[in-house]
Amino acid sequence: MFIRARLLATAAVAAFALTTAPLSAETPPDTFIQAWAIDDMITLDPAEVFEFTASEIIGNSYETIIGYDVNDVSNIFGRVAESWELSEDGRTMSFKVREGKTFASGNDLTAEDVVYSLVRAVKLDKSPAFILGQFGLTPDNVEEKIKQTGDYSFTFEMDKAYAPTFLLYCLTATVASVVDKDLVQSNEADGDWGYNWLKTNYAGSGPFTIREWRANEAVVMERNDNWDGEKPAMARAIYRHIPEAATERLLLEQGDIDIARKLLPEEIEALSQNPDIKIQSGVKGTIFYLGLNQKNENLAKPEVREAMKWLVDYDAIAETLVKGMKKTHQTFLPEGFLGALDETPYSFDPAKAKELLAQAGLPDGFTVTMDTRNTPEVTSIAQAIQQTMAAAGITIEIIPGDGGQTLEKYRARTHDIYIGQWGPDYQDPHTNATFAQNPDNSDDAASKPLAWRNAWDIPELTAKADAAVLERDTEKRAQMYREMQEEVLKTSPFVIMFQESEVVAMRKNVEGYIIGPSFNDNSFRAVTK
Amino acid sequence: MTRTEWLLSEEPASRRQARLGQAYRTWLALKANRLAMVGLGLVLALIAVAILAPWIAPHDPIVGGDLRTDRLLPPSWAHPMGTDDLARDILSRVIHGSRLTLMVVVLVAVIATPIGLAIGTTAGYFGGWVDTVLMRATDIFLAFPRLILALAFVAALGPGIENAIIAIALTSWPPYARLARAETLTIRDSDFINAARLQGASAPRILWGHVTPLCLSSVIVRVTLDMAGIILTAAGLGFLGLGAQPPQPEWGAMIAGGRRFIIDQWWVATMPGLAIFAVSLGFNLLGDGLRDVLDPKARK
Repeated sequence: MFIRARLLATAAVAAFALTTAPLSAETPPDTFIQAWAIDDMITLDPAEVFEFTASEIIGNSYETIIGYDVNDVSNIFGRVAESWELSEDGRTMSFKVREGKTFASGNDLTAEDVVYSLVRAVKLDKSPAFILGQFGLTPDNVEEKIKQTGDYSFTFEMDKAYAPTFLLYCLTATVASVVDKDLVQSNEADGDWGYNWLKTNYAGSGPFTIREWRANEAVVMERNDNWDGEKPAMARAIYRHIPEAATERLLLEQGDIDIARKLLPEEIEALSQNPDIKIQSGVKGTIFYLGLNQKNENLAKPEVREAMKWLVDYDAIAETLVKGMKKTHQTFLPEGFLGALDETPYSFDPAKAKELLAQAGLPDGFTVTMDTRNTPEVTSIAQAIQQTMAAAGITIEIIPGDGGQTLEKYRARTHDIYIGQWGPDYQDPHTNATFAQNPDNSDDAASKPLAWRNAWDIPELTAKADAAVLERDTEKRAQMYREMQEEVLKTSPFVIMFQESEVVAMRKNVEGYIIGPSFNDNSFRAVTK
Repeated sequence: MTRTEWLLSEEPASRRQARLGQAYRTWLALKANRLAMVGLGLVLALIAVAILAPWIAPHDPIVGGDLRTDRLLPPSWAHPMGTDDLARDILSRVIHGSRLTLMVVVLVAVIATPIGLAIGTTAGYFGGWVDTVLMRATDIFLAFPRLILALAFVAALGPGIENAIIAIALTSWPPYARLARAETLTIRDSDFINAARLQGASAPRILWGHVTPLCLSSVIVRVTLDMAGIILTAAGLGFLGLGAQPPQPEWGAMIAGGRRFIIDQWWVATMPGLAIFAVSLGFNLLGDGLRDVLDPKARK
């Protein structure tokens, strides 16, 4: 009886202590907690990962063959590779692999692992495999094209003499992450290249290991003590799935999380007044644009295409609706890319647009539909454009739909106007040549770049884009992309409006967080707090 | 004889006098119910605002002001309900939104009530397999939650205010059919129906001339009480992006748009919310009052 009474008393005291504890509980000092929406994750396998969140997690837990400086993308260096050399004919690249690296499992990282990873990615043939497929690699020939030549060396053979930078940039993508061959093979079932196992497990060599992924709940990562770089200060990094911006804001203000990743301009604005919080932003490569389908007879008129470019109030939208999240950008290569052109000739000018419409024989404007993804941000931009277009008599009917519905129509070329984003797949300018390349404009074309989706038939620009990817002289190549951008800026059916930034808010004591140009560059290995 | 006396006369001289007298008594009973009068006032206000919208709205509901200076302004004399994230005056949008709300309510009532009445009275009057087939169909519709069924219809028909109205109408007739059937069952074997039948009246004639008028009052009460639910369903569809489409100033869609700003700019979502609240309350109070005066069994 006595013991029980004491227990009760202890419990009461404990309960009292709990209720009177300060409301702002701090996160543990060696744990970094992020709030983000992780509902897009479908796999943790580097051969398949193509989603924003998962690529970031792969970027922090695996190492790619090549890396680049996040502050200056043109500065390429070897990560797993130590050096490389191009053959005379420009079709074979020989790589030397850095010696002395080990995986988190303790296995040595050798050329065997690198070759296995590349072959595996091509053989599995998931969405990102096309990045390697561009060099003529197919599941049938990959084993002959990528060959191990020694313990720490291998060769990569291409079908054409592509620009070497093109290959190197492609090897910075998550699909070129090196996986632990022995570990993956020991978990292989029915010749699936360990696909089912790696979907939810980890076999890498990066600064952090992935301990656990609970779908739509959390991802838990732990420091990898075998990593050869500078040891991260954080022993654990946790992603919490918190999709509502307002909830993230409240949690950050209370100190329950260290960093909030899914905030809207209004939350950023409010949080920037808070002395305990700081805001950090980094430019991303994502481009926000309107695609005008050339199958629509009005939109196919060159004057109309140009008029539309004069009917968006770029700066007003960038300064208000998407403040801090997007900035005005009108060329198809994002800032920071090789050959990117920083020109913004267009602004809101209804008088000029009316003149152009009159020349096109449409002085009273016309009515056209716009497929709009029903997220708050896209809807509000679409409505702002709807208002400014109306100034020249162009009536836009917004057709809302979820991301899947609008994309499906876009891919089938049944839209009038599509409003949305294009994110580069890797850091080479060729990834955005999709705006200027359309080898076959027929409905059943094999390759379907953005120019195809808008039925823009451009044999000359296509030839130029094909030549640019083969140009070995970097400066000449940059010049070719600049010319293509000039042309696209003037004549294309793309009203390119913004380049996106990623804005995050974090507790004041967090230091060393890096926001890179691509999602797999976002890094927290140097974070201290 | 004053007009009031003529109306309230215990011995009406003509059919017309009896009918008008009955209507006047109903009105007097309704007038005595203060809450019902508040409800009636709110509903009349909705109708007046909807009709006069273009003249009383201070700004354009669709074209906003300057994004840089007029965005998300708090309520003030220039903008009594503030402005939204596209610099549009919320008061003007709420005023124009009343037209959409009224349109939804009226069209749903016009579509759903006749369907419900026809199915209910037919099933009740004929009985047998007609009753079984019609009532099981009604049961199927009743088995789904209303909003979910409306969602399914809108998903199939495509988003838009017209489709939302069709979807809501298609989901709101079953209760009226049930009600009409129950009323019909109580009167189908009455002497006056049998008398009409003996005189050779056809089934449609009896249904239309004798059964329907007797079911009408309880159905009207039910429809009025359902109006609030209809408004909420329409707003719910708008909130989910399946009702009225941007930039139409539909109240539910306005709330959805203002949800992002709820912490710092409370007025964006609150003002259309208040409008929905007031109008729903109005219809509910009016419906309650009407039930008191129209339902003979519930009369105090």
